[in-house]
Amino acid sequence: MTGVDGHVLLVEDDASIREIASLGLAQAGLRVSTAADGRAALASWRARPVQLIILDVMLPGLDGLEVCREIRKTSQVPILMVTARTDTIDVVVGLECGADDYLRKPFDLPELIARVRALLRRSTAPVTDTVLSVGRLEVDPGRFTACKDGHELTLTATEFRLLVELARHPGRVFTREVLLERVWSYPHLGDSRLVDVAVQRLRAKVEDDPTQPHLIRTVRGAGYKLTA
Amino acid sequence: MAAPRVAPGRVRRRLTVAFVSYLTVRAAWFDESLAQGTVDARYQLVLARQFLPLDEEHTAGLLASFEGSGRHVVLVADAGTAASHPAFATAPGPTLRAEVAAGRLAFQRVSTSDGSRLLVVGGRIPGSAAELYVMHAEDRIYADLDQLRAVLVAGSALVVLLAALIGHVLARRTLSPVGRAGAAARAVAEGLLATRLPVGARDEFGAWAESFNRMAEALQAKIAALSRAQARERRFTADVAHELRTPVTALVAAASMVGAHLDELPTAVRRPAELLVTDVVRLRRLVDELMEISRLDAGREDVTAQPVEVGALVDAILGSRGWSDRVAVTGTAPLVVTDPRRLERVLANVVANAVEHGGRDVQVVIAGTDQAVTVRVIDRGPGIPAAHLPHLFDRFYKADPARGGAGSGLGLAIARENARLLGADIKVRSEPDLGTEFRITVPVAHPLHSGDATAKAGADGDGQHHPSPGGPP
Repeated sequence: MTGVDGHVLLVEDDASIREIASLGLAQAGLRVSTAADGRAALASWRARPVQLIILDVMLPGLDGLEVCREIRKTSQVPILMVTARTDTIDVVVGLECGADDYLRKPFDLPELIARVRALLRRSTAPVTDTVLSVGRLEVDPGRFTACKDGHELTLTATEFRLLVELARHPGRVFTREVLLERVWSYPHLGDSRLVDVAVQRLRAKVEDDPTQPHLIRTVRGAGYKLTA
Repeated sequence: MAAPRVAPGRVRRRLTVAFVSYLTVRAAWFDESLAQGTVDARYQLVLARQFLPLDEEHTAGLLASFEGSGRHVVLVADAGTAASHPAFATAPGPTLRAEVAAGRLAFQRVSTSDGSRLLVVGGRIPGSAAELYVMHAEDRIYADLDQLRAVLVAGSALVVLLAALIGHVLARRTLSPVGRAGAAARAVAEGLLATRLPVGARDEFGAWAESFNRMAEALQAKIAALSRAQARERRFTADVAHELRTPVTALVAAASMVGAHLDELPTAVRRPAELLVTDVVRLRRLVDELMEISRLDAGREDVTAQPVEVGALVDAILGSRGWSDRVAVTGTAPLVVTDPRRLERVLANVVANAVEHGGRDVQVVIAGTDQAVTVRVIDRGPGIPAAHLPHLFDRFYKADPARGGAGSGLGLAIARENARLLGADIKVRSEPDLGTEFRITVPVAHPLHSGDATAKAGADGDGQHHPSPGGPP
């Protein structure tokens, strides 16, 4: 259970979950800081940035969605959202606030660790070192940068991985399942809304007009593709 | 509304009454005429006696005398037949002649060649063999009877018409509230519980409409109370499931750590720890399914349709749950456009039920047409008694309450709810001791839902279509 080194901030108001989850994460070889509410989470994050944040949506005071938005103003750190709510709409709202992935309560510890590792891998391990150039876009997986017309884009790890996947085969159609597997490491039947929401967020950053996308195109009934 | 009708019996009775009264009047008039005719004839016979013996002179005198009194007679004597008017000479018929010849006073009704009606009363002139026949005109009686008949027929017709008219009006007045009541009852049956009848007149129908309205009100109140109770119950289920999530999350996390280190535990607590881990898994499943069913109840589940290969989905379900060696899959089917996650819930829950209750040999048979794909899940288990079949998809329903099993009792209910969202259908057949077959029918094309990501993405201005998803450029 070693190999991935990372510092994780676990934001969870329930003491039992906080304790057992940090124990599990620590046993998986991660360093864990904890926060019991939204304000403490922001304070801890500002005092000491980490490689990943596990964020419960329902928090006393400042809730998880607000914390997520606040962090996204300055940072692209991977955020794994944990939700106890029944409504699927919460998941979409969370993703739209900038979360990279989500987990529903109750979750298995191995599930949590797998999600955390996938996210950390996404933000650290380069897929390839070759600089990819598609039309006006230039993606450098080695340096973790993406530029459009020479201007650097601010992408989260998930958005960056998504762009790299699409840019490696311009013009090729990727199904949501393939993207889920390659970007989010979901083996089977993940939530395809993860892909849809991430594509929308990526479009907002790379398209001239996100409502009339010309670079990342939807292939109806099939998936997405990047055109030059 | 049915055409108003007067009962046929009543018209017949009215017509019969009219006909009988006509006959009675007719008989009375004829009897009276005959009585008068007879009295008159007797008197005339006595008078005729004055002219005996009937020689030529006397006969002429007799006839003249009768003519003078305004009567016509026919005299039959040895000398021959003499009539006061030639038209009447043949009036007395042979039957009458025979009666009179036998010495009786007799009568006959005849009509002459010019159409007049006559009452002929005849008898022998006392003290002689001569017969005298006195003619009484009955034309007046016939004319009056004709008039009476005409009046009666017209009257009856009028009565019938009036009866029909009144019947029609009455029927309308009677039946229109009935028609309205029928429509109102149908409306209530169709669920329009706010339906009320206008309470008009203070008659039976007014009272009836009031009772109907009271019933509808009671029904509406009852159903509102029931649906409030059901909403409360569902709210409660959702709340319970929600409140359980946090402690169950901690339990599940702790149990998975304990489970990973069972070997390191002292022997005395190893087995209890193992049971703890197993039961936490069950508890988690129950909470998960409660959450799912309350999400389905809330009706806020969206459907994301995409092309799905059913065979591959079944393989994935079996693979991920470790059932591949227990379940045999045969058959193929065309692609269906549906929500793969929901279809997975349907198929996995039905297969789970078969694996749990149906013994070792579970078969999944896939087949399809251009309209629908069917997946049959067949087991050779003990079967389900017919009495249990209708309740199989009810929440927490267990065919054998004594048998706990690993299931939460919600699996098939969840399968059915998800199937409903997909427009799919689940049917079950079972033969005790032979096995059970679940048949899931999924329409090949599911109408795209409003919350569908494919539809959303397709509407963002990108009109390009690609025939080979995921393939090389």
